[in-house]
Amino acid sequence: MYRGKSIVELREELDSGKTTPEELFDKANKLAHEFQDEYNSFVTIIDKCKYKDRDTKLKGIPYALKDNFSTMGILTTASSNILKDYVPVYDATVYKKLKNAGAVLVGKTTLDELAMGGTGTTAHTGVVKNPWNKECMIGGSSAGSASAVALGIVPFSIGSDTGDSVRKPASNGGLVGFKPTYGRISRYGLFAFASSLDHVGIFTRNVRDCAIVTDILKGKDINDMVTINDDKKSYEQELEKVAVKGKKLFYMKEICGKDTYKDNKDDVLKKAIDDFHNTVEKLKKEGFVVEEVSFDKKLLEAIYPTYMCISCAEATSNNSNLTGIPFGPRGEGNSIEEIMFDARTKGFSELIKRRFVLGSYILQKENQEKLFLNAQRVRRMIVDKMNELFKEYDGMIAPCSGGPAEKFESTSEKLSDRYLILENHLAIGNFGGFPSITLPYTMINDMPVGINLTGRVREDSEVLCMAQAIENITGLKDIYSKVGDLDV
Amino acid sequence: MIEIEKLKDYANKLMFDMNDEEYKTLQDEFEIILKQMDLIGKIPNIDKVSPMTFPFPNTDVSLREDEVGDYLTVSEVLENAKHQVNDQVKVPKVVNEDV
Repeated sequence: MYRGKSIVELREELDSGKTTPEELFDKANKLAHEFQDEYNSFVTIIDKCKYKDRDTKLKGIPYALKDNFSTMGILTTASSNILKDYVPVYDATVYKKLKNAGAVLVGKTTLDELAMGGTGTTAHTGVVKNPWNKECMIGGSSAGSASAVALGIVPFSIGSDTGDSVRKPASNGGLVGFKPTYGRISRYGLFAFASSLDHVGIFTRNVRDCAIVTDILKGKDINDMVTINDDKKSYEQELEKVAVKGKKLFYMKEICGKDTYKDNKDDVLKKAIDDFHNTVEKLKKEGFVVEEVSFDKKLLEAIYPTYMCISCAEATSNNSNLTGIPFGPRGEGNSIEEIMFDARTKGFSELIKRRFVLGSYILQKENQEKLFLNAQRVRRMIVDKMNELFKEYDGMIAPCSGGPAEKFESTSEKLSDRYLILENHLAIGNFGGFPSITLPYTMINDMPVGINLTGRVREDSEVLCMAQAIENITGLKDIYSKVGDLDV
Repeated sequence: MIEIEKLKDYANKLMFDMNDEEYKTLQDEFEIILKQMDLIGKIPNIDKVSPMTFPFPNTDVSLREDEVGDYLTVSEVLENAKHQVNDQVKVPKVVNEDV
């Protein structure tokens, strides 16, 4: 059986001759088609098995790639009508590295349009559903990449993470979702959303697989000036070496303190917090030191608006190349302005337009100081405070959310502490470029919820090692939705 | 409440338009967004902090030698252009003859 197997398991089967890359591809392809109508994980499903014969851990392993990474000769839409026919003429570095490692592309995955959104509901090809419960969101923006791994179609996939777009869907899908240090993985060929926050991220079903994929992808790239020098470590091998005993972690009282939600009537939220504290107790028994710290609540409440200000402002600029002239559907009109105006009016969905208008508002001369520059100041204050804490602690832990994935029709109270702090704190990892990983820690109503661990800049290996220790404690490893009862 | 005319102006500056219903939805959304934005203004002593534009200082940068890299052929460049003539992208005539 192929479905739900990890990279490590598939590698053993390939190396022992029990299976072949072609067989694995056929099974992944069959599953991708089988689940497409119901879950909509893919924009494009690849029907031909192509891989290079290379001596790496990923040779012959099927995977999926978010549809905002350039793939030469393969449709790349960013799930937007304005790019619905775009076929890139160059490869993203991430894709090139995976190709050169012998990995086998199974499909390009659905995202929230242009990666701007957290619901998985705004793609030009429709809504992505949660494999654990199709009445619920998988979350976004890397929705299809998460659902493809959570359905057991592929053992790993690639996404992008600007606010929490890998780590939140990972929580909703029962997956490991890792966003390494800013610049650890090249973004060349990834369609830019907000360049000062954009990261490449990885979905797997266990931490070891995540280390294997990161080992292939990391490194300096002359095509992406923000990439950092390679640390020359094998993260997979480091998993055996680094001891976690004595590692110091903190959690913020304002995000997930035992009593923070004691008056809240939501039993699911209470269970998520209780189970988090049970996990903390188990971590302590395994040798971690875990302490509660208090963080300025005003700063935490400002995370979400700060993220919106910076990301929407940067996005308006990054997407100004989408004019319908060099590529995309051509607009109509009698002047160059009219042509662009028409193409953009027809090409962007309503949600994207709303985000752009917000970006435009923030960048108006009269608002720049009050909103854009002040958001950048808040960003510094939060990051400085985190770096202060990282002088004493090796990492921060917190639940990714106040429970499992939300239903499609549910509406959050957008000014509540829960929404502003508990549901949106993961953007701290983007503000400071910190390595940050999500993995499942509990099941509530038969659906997974993720815990997040964020560490010091450049200490990706330490974060993976600590995450593996958490995985050993929770026992929630290699889980996926067995929906459909398809044992291929 | 923010005026719809202003929202229309912000949209038009980014070269797109929305319909009346969409502007109304956006106007309602702005009510909440502006309240959320107010939270930024509540941070004390913010004026003493310099804006942060990058997650951390990156010193891993150096000048590289100029080398011929990959380049696109004419046919690759034209691959995404629907309208072509004589190996070039054909664009509509937009210059007013009076100019």
